[in-house]
Amino acid sequence: MKILVVDDFSTMRRIIKNLLNDLGFMNIVEADDGNTAIPILKKGGIDFLVTDWNMPGMTGIELLREVRADDKLSGLPVMMVTAEQKREQIVEAAEAGVNGYIVKPFTAITLKEKMGKIFERVG
Amino acid sequence: MLEENKLISDDNIARSKDLLACLERGDENGAREVLDELTRIRETELYQEMGKLTRELHDSITAFGKDDKLINLAQAEIPDARSRLRHVIKMTDDAANRTLTAVEESLPICDSVTTNSSNLHEKWRRFVQRDMNVQEFRELSLLIDQFLEGNTGQVKELRSKLNEILMAQDFQDLTSQIIKRVIGLVEDVETNLVNLVKLAGGHIKVDFEKTKDDHSIEATGPAVPGVDTESNLVSGQDEVDDLLSSLGF
Repeated sequence: MKILVVDDFSTMRRIIKNLLNDLGFMNIVEADDGNTAIPILKKGGIDFLVTDWNMPGMTGIELLREVRADDKLSGLPVMMVTAEQKREQIVEAAEAGVNGYIVKPFTAITLKEKMGKIFERVG
Repeated sequence: MLEENKLISDDNIARSKDLLACLERGDENGAREVLDELTRIRETELYQEMGKLTRELHDSITAFGKDDKLINLAQAEIPDARSRLRHVIKMTDDAANRTLTAVEESLPICDSVTTNSSNLHEKWRRFVQRDMNVQEFRELSLLIDQFLEGNTGQVKELRSKLNEILMAQDFQDLTSQIIKRVIGLVEDVETNLVNLVKLAGGHIKVDFEKTKDDHSIEATGPAVPGVDTESNLVSGQDEVDDLLSSLGF
C-alpha cells in the first residue's frame, strides 16, 4: 500500500507519515501542494491519497476534483486532513467525492478509525 | 484646460490689437473696457480651476470617509488579528507544555529501565562466573521475569509519550495558517496607510483598495475560539462525522 501525503507544512507531513507508519503503512510519498502531487499520482502506483485543503498553488479541493476527473485516478480513495471547518466546505468536499474528512487538530485514533472505514467501504 | 480658456486664441489676439489701437489713438475709456474684459476672462479661468480642485478634494475626502475597508480594518480586523495572535500564543504554549510534560514523564521510565538493567547485568555476570548460590539464582530468575514483564509495559508507555510529542507538533501548521492570515491584514493596513499619506501629500488621485469579493468557500485556516464564531462552523470531528453521515457517508 503506497500512500501520498499532500500538505504544505513539512511538520504536518511528518506527523501524518509517522502516524501512518505506526498503523503499519511504511510506503509513504510526500508532496507540498496539488501541483506537485498531480505528476506523482499520474506516474501511477499510489493507492491512497491524504491531502490538506489550504495550500498555495493547487489546493486540496482542486486536487480532489482533478483526481475525480481523471479516468485512471477517479477511483482513488482520498482523505482530507484539514483545519477548514465550515459546513459548506465539508459539503463541498463530499460533493467533490472525498472519502473521509478529518479536522485538525486530530488524534492518532481518529486517523486510524477513518482509514479503517474507508478501506471497509472501498474494499 | 478648455479650448476657450487658452491664452493664445484668435479672440485674445483681436482684444490685444483693440487695446493697442485704443492706446495709440488716446482712447482711454476704450482701453479700460478692453483691459476689464481681459481681467474678467482671467478671473473666470481661476474660479473654474479652483472649483475643480475643490471638487476633487471633496470627492477624495468623501471616498476616504466612505471606504468600508479602512473602517473595517480599524474597527473589526485589527482587534480580530489581536485575538488570533493571542490564540497563537496559547497554541504554542499548549504545545510546549504538552511536549515538556511528555518528556518529564518519559525520563523516569528511562531511568527505571537503566537501573533495572544494570542491576540485572551485575547479577547475570556473577551467574556467568559461577559466583552464585541456589537461593541467589532463584532471586535472579524472579528478577529476570519481573524485568521482562515490566519492560513491555514501560516501552509501551514510552512509545505513547513519544506519540504525544509527535502530535503536539501540529501547532506549527495551525499557527502558521493563522499568522499568514494576520500578515495579509498587515499588508491591507499598509496599502491603506500609503493611500492616506498620498492623500495628505496632495496626490489627490487615490485608488482605495476595493473590498475583495467574499468567496463563500475560501480557505480560511483554523477557526479561532472567540473570533470565528459563525454558526456555519463545525466544532470538531464529531460534528464533521454527523454532517457527513447526514449526506450518506
